[in-house]
Amino acid sequence: MKPLVEIDSLAVDFTTPDGVVNAVRGVGFKVEPGEILGIVGESGSGKSVSCRALLGLLPRHARVGGRIVYDGRELSTLTPAELAAVRGRQVSMIFQNPSSHLDPLMTIGEQVAEPMKFHFGLDRRAARRRALELLEVVRIQDAGTRMNAYPHELSGGMKQRVLIACALACEPRLLLADEPTTALDVTVQAGILRLLRTLNRERGLSMILVSHDLGVVAEVCDRVVVMRGGEVVEQGTVTDVVRQPRNAYTRELIDSQPGRLEMSSGRHARPAPLLEVKGLRVRFARRGGTVAFGGDKTQGIDALADVSLDVHAGETFGIVGESGSGKSTLARAVLGLVDTSAGSIRYDGRALAGLDKSERARFRRDVQMVFQSPYDSLNPRMRVLDAIAEPIWRHRLADPGEAGERAAELMDMVELSPALARRKPRQLSGGQCQRVAIARALALSPRLLIADEVTSALDVTIQAQVLRLLARLKEMRDLTIIYISHDLAVVRRFCNRVAVLKQGRLMEVGYTRTVFESPSSEYTRELIASAPDLDALRGGAVPA
Amino acid sequence: MPQITYIGRRLISLIPVLIGISIISFLLVKLSPGDPIRLLLGPRATDEAVAAVRLAYGLDEPAWRQYFVYIGNVLEGDLGRSIRYRLPVSELIVQFLPRTLFLIGYVMAITIPATLALAVIAARTQDRLADQAIRLFTVLGMSVPVFWLAVLLGRYFGAELGWFPVSGWGEGFTGHLHHLFLPAVSTSLWLIPLLVRNLRGALIEQMESDYVVACRAKGLPEGIIFRRHILRNSVLPTLHLLGIMVAFLIGGSVVVEIVYAVPGLGALMVGSVIGRDYYVVQGLTLAYAVGTVLVTLTVDLLTAAIDPRTGR
Repeated sequence: MKPLVEIDSLAVDFTTPDGVVNAVRGVGFKVEPGEILGIVGESGSGKSVSCRALLGLLPRHARVGGRIVYDGRELSTLTPAELAAVRGRQVSMIFQNPSSHLDPLMTIGEQVAEPMKFHFGLDRRAARRRALELLEVVRIQDAGTRMNAYPHELSGGMKQRVLIACALACEPRLLLADEPTTALDVTVQAGILRLLRTLNRERGLSMILVSHDLGVVAEVCDRVVVMRGGEVVEQGTVTDVVRQPRNAYTRELIDSQPGRLEMSSGRHARPAPLLEVKGLRVRFARRGGTVAFGGDKTQGIDALADVSLDVHAGETFGIVGESGSGKSTLARAVLGLVDTSAGSIRYDGRALAGLDKSERARFRRDVQMVFQSPYDSLNPRMRVLDAIAEPIWRHRLADPGEAGERAAELMDMVELSPALARRKPRQLSGGQCQRVAIARALALSPRLLIADEVTSALDVTIQAQVLRLLARLKEMRDLTIIYISHDLAVVRRFCNRVAVLKQGRLMEVGYTRTVFESPSSEYTRELIASAPDLDALRGGAVPA
Repeated sequence: MPQITYIGRRLISLIPVLIGISIISFLLVKLSPGDPIRLLLGPRATDEAVAAVRLAYGLDEPAWRQYFVYIGNVLEGDLGRSIRYRLPVSELIVQFLPRTLFLIGYVMAITIPATLALAVIAARTQDRLADQAIRLFTVLGMSVPVFWLAVLLGRYFGAELGWFPVSGWGEGFTGHLHHLFLPAVSTSLWLIPLLVRNLRGALIEQMESDYVVACRAKGLPEGIIFRRHILRNSVLPTLHLLGIMVAFLIGGSVVVEIVYAVPGLGALMVGSVIGRDYYVVQGLTLAYAVGTVLVTLTVDLLTAAIDPRTGR
């Protein structure tokens, strides 16, 4: 069979003020009709750029070389009008962030109908009728009413379904899916992946699925292309690549999958509770309630309702949940960053509400937090050594000179080269930056470290390094860690005990093994089933 | 439905604003130096006469009572009498207002199409020759003071070439158009550069946004993407700026009206301030403020019509 798409020695250069950057070099792959091809790689690997080059969607300052042949036609020789006729009609695309890829001022029905008006010359009514059918195909409930909704009135998963409906409108033969589930919760992701597989099976729609998540690719794709630094390092069937990776980088990528991480979570937790949360309730005033019109404080949304749990000294305690589950609010409540409306928090046997000024200062030293985005949580104008030293002298634990020396020791402890000490956060990579944030949190020798999605913004190989670092520091400094994450696989490997939150309520709490192997709540079961797993390859389980 | 509740909320929020405006315009005369009665009666009035008039006008009452009387009068359309013109202030305003409104409408009719055309051309030819030329024009336009431009245009097109009259406001609609051409152009030349820069920036920002890439991926032609998506998403900031400018023009057309001797509200205001015609100043202040409130209200309602997210 003739391949649907054949890409040969593709090269993409970007002209930037600092010179020419080769984003992609010598990339070649094929997509057979009816096949789902995965392209996997970390940030900057060129996977997205290759995909966009196919549809000619790169910015103007990009130069594209090499051959892209779609159905026997060389795309680079097409006129803009011919290319527009291919886009959406033959090849369409869906994107990572569904919110920003929909026009906020146009109803979703109109946006789905739009390409059909242009490609098929349908009138408004016929196009809307087809749009309604398509919204039903992508399982938008109550599609008739939702047609007239604007993007902001839909959830993230719904918006991605709308984008898929737009892409399907003109019955294309190839769908390019660029990280289509990265911005979505894991249960929503499972739904979208199921939909993509159904479309592939029932309509024979070929796909290129670009993802950083090998687990997602393994669940959906037939073949996979592994990219790194703008080049293809390996390609083959998913089963072959996952079971017998030939390339060293592919091997590293597979070994870095959280499910494959070798990690001792340390089992010498003392059952003495370090932190006791009882009946905690956090209430936020409802949006839109303004002062002038009597914003009623008692009306509101419970970000957390009746949450009780203990964190034992020396353990790693995981908190998992999807967006809006209240996991970050819980951390902020413990730190006293949000007002609680009911319940108590006790630290080391003392109620936080009853601490006097000096005890409060002591508590603030004892409990430190590391945030999701290292770039946002570090002062962009401060050199990293100063950022790490600042809490030490601010708390008057040392004079600024001595604080600098201690900061240098901390940098060494988090495996940062002393050469980086004078850099600003923007001059560091995401992983290095997160190490700085960890070092800063450790500067006050805390007993409890709260890590809020600290590896979510990082590539998977870097995530593996940071997790190993945290595990080592925990042993070394006798830390208790509260690890907040949406990623079940990481929590499963890394935590001794785990709490599952959903919409501000505690679903269950228990030892990690018990929760994962015999979950007591329906929601936990759903979460676990939704998480993509490398070992749940289409071809069957992989022997360990 | 949220749109309607938004409009309702927006209208209710006007009430405290209007009360505030009335208090300020009331205090304006109350606290200004000099005695309006003495001004009214002239320098040779006796103390008895002053006291009698004071009593007749209710000026011996406590301030809060006077305020309520004032509000009652305003609600009935009575803004007091002009000392200079010997006419009710409301009549004066009704007489002078159409000229200023005509001028503003004229200015808008020139400004809006020109802004749209220039900004769209500049954004679509970003960094190329046409864009550079338009940006040069906007910088020049912003750095030239409006009164100077008005004088210059008047001298050249009015006095030198004799194409347009340089004063007054003419007879009939075409007469108004002819007479007000130079004042409208001078004002527009001051507004257009700011609006063009604002809209051009918004257009360029929107052109880079994700939904534009998504529209291209659907195979839509660039022209449709621009008209249906980019333009609609770009106009709001410029609409708000335009609203501020119109509100400013209601009270700020003074310079042009004086230079071209257009008998509009601006000219009336300047004359009244110089002639210490307190009640006219007070009435005009109230009228300007209400005009500004109406303009911002219109802009907000337009915004709500364009952007479904407004009011959340």
